[in-house]
Amino acid sequence: MSVSREEVERIAGLAALALDPAELPELTAQMDRIVGFVARLAEAGSLEEPREAPDTPVDSPLREDVVLPADLARSPAELAPEFVDGFFVVPRLGAMEES
Amino acid sequence: MSGAGAVARAVAERLAAADVARLNATLAWSEAALAAEAARVDALPDDGVLHQWPVAIKDNIVTTDLPTTCGSRILQGYRSPFNATVVERLRAAGAMVACKTNLDEFAMGSSTEHSAFGRVLHPQDPSRVPGGSSGGSAALVAAGAVAAALGSETGGSVRQPASFCGVVGVKPTYGRVSRYGLVAFGSSLDCVSVFARTVAIAGQLLEVIAGPDSRDATSVAAPKLALQPPGASLAGTTIGIPREYFPADLDPGIQAACNRAMDRMRDLGARLIEVSLPHTSLAVPAYYIVAPAEAAANLARFDGARYGVRAESSGDVRALYRATRGRGFGAEVRRRILVGTYVLSAGYHEAYYGRAQAARRRITGDFSAAFAAGVDLLFTPTTPTTAFRAGEKTADPVAMYLADVFVCPASLAGLPAMSFPIGRSEGLPIGGQLIAPPFAEGVMLAAAARLEAALDPVAEAR
Repeated sequence: MSVSREEVERIAGLAALALDPAELPELTAQMDRIVGFVARLAEAGSLEEPREAPDTPVDSPLREDVVLPADLARSPAELAPEFVDGFFVVPRLGAMEES
Repeated sequence: MSGAGAVARAVAERLAAADVARLNATLAWSEAALAAEAARVDALPDDGVLHQWPVAIKDNIVTTDLPTTCGSRILQGYRSPFNATVVERLRAAGAMVACKTNLDEFAMGSSTEHSAFGRVLHPQDPSRVPGGSSGGSAALVAAGAVAAALGSETGGSVRQPASFCGVVGVKPTYGRVSRYGLVAFGSSLDCVSVFARTVAIAGQLLEVIAGPDSRDATSVAAPKLALQPPGASLAGTTIGIPREYFPADLDPGIQAACNRAMDRMRDLGARLIEVSLPHTSLAVPAYYIVAPAEAAANLARFDGARYGVRAESSGDVRALYRATRGRGFGAEVRRRILVGTYVLSAGYHEAYYGRAQAARRRITGDFSAAFAAGVDLLFTPTTPTTAFRAGEKTADPVAMYLADVFVCPASLAGLPAMSFPIGRSEGLPIGGQLIAPPFAEGVMLAAAARLEAALDPVAEAR
C-alpha cells in the first residue's frame, strides 16, 4: 500500500486543510510511512476469533434529567447584541433574505 | 502576608527561575493571578486536602482566568468561558492554580517538540527532551517549581514524560476522572492524569479530582478511589512480568534498573511470575489508527468560526475553514488529521479502523486474562530508552510513535497505570511502570509507595 500525492490532496480536501504545494512531497512520504506502519495490523492474522469479552466492571449511570446552572465566565447576554428572556434575538429568516 | 500569599510568592519566584533557565515549560502565569488564587484560598477553611498547594495545569485543560491554547496557534489567546471539573475540584480542596504548562500541540507528540510556542527543555540536560505530550508539567515538577501538576494521557502522555524527567506520573482508569473541560483529542482514550515528586502526593491529587461528574457521561460512579497506606511488605502480592516488554535489545541500563526493582519486589515478599501479553506488538499501530481517527473528528470544531484565530480568506466558508486550519495547525497535528481522515474514508474504514478496534479488543483481552489468572499488578519499563536528544526523532514520525511502545497498551485497554523513578542510566532517570486492573489504583499506588521507599531513585543501575 502506498499513498500518492493525489490521495493526500483528496484527503486534505475532506479534512478541510489547506496545504502548501511545497510541503506535499515530504508530507506524502510521511503519510506513506505512517500508513505503511499501521498496515502491519493486516499481517497479524485473524483478530476476530470469538473471545470472551472483558467484564465491564461498572455501568455508566444516567444523570438526573434536570437543568443545571452553567457557571460561565461571561453571561450569554454579553455575547449577542440582543438577549431577551433567555433567548438570542435574531432577525426573521425572511427579513435576513431580503436585506 | 497571608499563608497562601507567601506560598504564591515563592511559587512565582520558582516559575520565574524556570523561565530564566529557558525551560519553556510554562505558557501562562502571572503574579497577579497567583495573588488572586492566594486570596481565594485564604477565604476557604484551612482543612482542604490540598490547602495552599500550588498545582500546574496542562494547557489543554480549560481555565477562565488564564488562556487555554493547547500549544496551538489556532487557539492563541483563547479564553474558555468555563473551568474544567478537575480545576474546580482542585480549587475546592484548597489548591492554587500556579500556571498553564506547555505541551505538544493538542497533546499530539512524545517529546514536547511539537508546540507552536517552542520546545520544552529537559530540566537536567537542555539538549534533551522531557518527553511528551505533557512535557511542561513533567519538567516543572522535576525542577521543583510546583509540588504537583495535571497532565493528560491519550496514549502515555503522562507516564512517558514522568519516566524521562524522574517524577511520578499516574494515569487513572478511563472514566475515573471527569474529562469535562479537557480539550478532546481521542475521546475513547483521553484521561486527566497527575504528576508529583512522590507517590503519596500523586495519590492525594488523584483522590481529589476523581469521581463521577454529571457533565461527563463517560465518568463512572466506580468504587471510590481508596488510598491505602503502604504496607510493610508486598507479601501476598503477585506481580506479572510480561515478556513482551523485555525484548533482547532493551537498553541495558533500563534492563538493569528493572532487574534491581524486581529484586526489591522479591525482597519485600512479592511473588513474581512471567506472563505473556501476546498482542502487545499491535498496540502502537492500533493506537495510531484509533487516536488519529478520533482526533480528526474532534478537531473538526477548530474551523475559524467558533474558536480562536480566524485566517483571512476571500472565498466561501469552506475556503475560510481550509485556510484557518491549514495555517493554524502545526505539522504533527495536520499529519494526524490526515491519517485519521484517511483511515476513516470510504474503502479504507474496515481495513484500518475496524481492524484496529479488533486489535484493541485483543489487547484488552490479554490484560484481562493475566489479571484473571491471579496477577495483581504488572511491572514493565515505562520507556524503551531514557530521554532522547531534541531533534533525534522529529524527521521520522514512526520512530517518535515507537517511544510510546510500552505505554500505549494500557491506554487502549483503559487501565490504570503509573510510572515511578527506579534508577538512572548515565545520569538520566529511568521509570518503572505498574499496570493494574480497572479501578485498582489504590492497590497500585500502595505497592508503588512501598517500592519507592525501598529503591534509591538516583542510583545508577548496573
